[in-house]
Amino acid sequence: MKKTKITFASVALFWVALGILLCYGATRLSVGSATEPGSGFIFFWSGLILVVLSLIAFAESLRNGEEVNPGMGAMNWRKIVLVLLALLLYAFFLEKLGFVLTTFVLLSFLLAMIEGKQWSKSLGVAGAAAGGSYAIFELWLKIRLPHGIFGF
Amino acid sequence: MLESLSSLAYGFTIALQPLNLLYCFIGVTMGTLVGVLPGIGPTATIALLLPATFKLNPVSAIIMLSGICYGAMYGGSTTSILLNIPGEASSVVTCLDGYQMARRGRAGPALGISAFGSFIAGTVSIFGLILLAPTLAAFALKFGPPEYFALMVMGLAVVAYLARKSMAKALMMAVFGIILGCVGLDPITATPRFTFGILELADGIGIAPVVMGLFGIAEVLENLGVLTKADVYAGKIKGLFPNREDWRRSMGPIARGSLLGFFLGLLPGVGSIVPQFLSYALEKKLSRHPERFGMGEIEGVASPEACNNAAVGGTFIPLLSLGIPSNAMTAILLGALMIYGLTPGPLLIKNSPDLFWGVIASMYIGNIMLLILNLPLIPMWVTVLRIPYSYLSAFIILFCLIGAYSLNNSTTDIYIAVIFSLVGLLLKKFAFEPAPLVLAFVLGPLLETALRRSLILSDGSFLIFLQRPISAAFILFALLVFLAPLFGKMRPARGLSEED
Repeated sequence: MKKTKITFASVALFWVALGILLCYGATRLSVGSATEPGSGFIFFWSGLILVVLSLIAFAESLRNGEEVNPGMGAMNWRKIVLVLLALLLYAFFLEKLGFVLTTFVLLSFLLAMIEGKQWSKSLGVAGAAAGGSYAIFELWLKIRLPHGIFGF
Repeated sequence: MLESLSSLAYGFTIALQPLNLLYCFIGVTMGTLVGVLPGIGPTATIALLLPATFKLNPVSAIIMLSGICYGAMYGGSTTSILLNIPGEASSVVTCLDGYQMARRGRAGPALGISAFGSFIAGTVSIFGLILLAPTLAAFALKFGPPEYFALMVMGLAVVAYLARKSMAKALMMAVFGIILGCVGLDPITATPRFTFGILELADGIGIAPVVMGLFGIAEVLENLGVLTKADVYAGKIKGLFPNREDWRRSMGPIARGSLLGFFLGLLPGVGSIVPQFLSYALEKKLSRHPERFGMGEIEGVASPEACNNAAVGGTFIPLLSLGIPSNAMTAILLGALMIYGLTPGPLLIKNSPDLFWGVIASMYIGNIMLLILNLPLIPMWVTVLRIPYSYLSAFIILFCLIGAYSLNNSTTDIYIAVIFSLVGLLLKKFAFEPAPLVLAFVLGPLLETALRRSLILSDGSFLIFLQRPISAAFILFALLVFLAPLFGKMRPARGLSEED
């Protein structure tokens, strides 16, 4: 129970901090007044409301003694971080190396390293999927996909 | 009424043109497919296909895109019944009794009644749409910024009220959504706000990458290494036609589900997810054997399936008559209308009758197509479901990445999708609901502009929201909703979540 309380407190703290930062950022944008609402008006008041609501939610969760994640199974955080990193790298290289190559590398990685499929199968499926989606989206549906240095 | 009918006849002449029939067919088939596939939903699909529709005529494009919306409702139930995994968030409840029916060898009637139920509900909601949308649009011509602001506040209040967990947390999500939605250039002074010098953020954060991240990628991440093999119902599915007893038991629930779904769908912000929970709770309350719910009662399948389909029709009313989206799906459709150069709002029906009546007529045709197609195609969907989730998850990620990228051809949108996938995962972990966030995100810019214009109109007096009767009524309703928990009134959705 103690651990959940600490978690709730840190979640609440996060939202309170976010609310305060928003209010601060809003004052730098000019909050204005009710007669003449400025660019930061909505951010300032939303930030303030967020702080109040986070405190209410915090009090509520302490009183009800909720669990942190009812109904959600254990998550594989190592894999999640790996996938997120892979996706960020994908975004970084997409326009440089082109859609087909980056997609092929990403899918091979996801299938072989994350889902534990055989390399030969993974490479085959990734190649087919990268080529196939290029054909469907770029050639057929005419959705422009990045071409990169190799031209595809 | 007569005028509506003649307009509808005009709509049919548009919807029955061969090309529009083809797009309607593509839309409902795609919709059913993504409805069947868990992890990729109608919202992601519409975002994915939107760039491909830019060259089409707007009527055909919207006919196809709305086909995806209601087609997904038919497909979602298939996965719920056969796999016990909701193919769509709006088919969660169908799992409870649908899967149990399948386990008892009654997969056929369960699939059958959800298809017929969806069809009946679809018909009811289309007629509701025909009757209500033009009237509402005429009424909405009286709306100024204060009325729009009050209406959106009411929508957000209702979403928070219907949250299955804490109302405070749901409101936090709504506020967070408003903040995210307002990032970008100030609509009045063009000052960049919270863009951190990133040029692409000047136009605001896009709805497509946010939805792809929050719902598509986040769900794959959550299931990494957990869902290894889908347990597809292996038996032969026979007797798709429900028998007389099934019909007798289902007619009431289908009728109630249709009406409930339609009227809840009307409220901005409710969408199609919450109504199905309420319809299930209602049937359970009305049943003489509530203890049998969850063990394969046909009422528990018929009502929520009718309800979610009727709700889709309901959500089109605020979209087409007020220009206000009810959920992420209609938000992207709203974006589509604007890209095609149409102005959503009360004048849409008057200025583009071909679009409004054509789309409505196509919805009716689409529902008939779905009824004819869906049942015979179920074996094919089952084959699709046998693709191992490990492959499916990689493809879902790929589609989400393309969907996020293709609308603006910008890698920034991919970064946004990745960031929001982590946000979605953490929100779920700490029991925050993403639905109010998405709605508020969509409404944020509209809400801000309406608020600031109202205040300028009233010279800074907040009383303007109470002095005008329509807006006062909306605000009063929102206040009642906010205050309801204080009076110890049990919130319906919360009551259900405690029962689960």
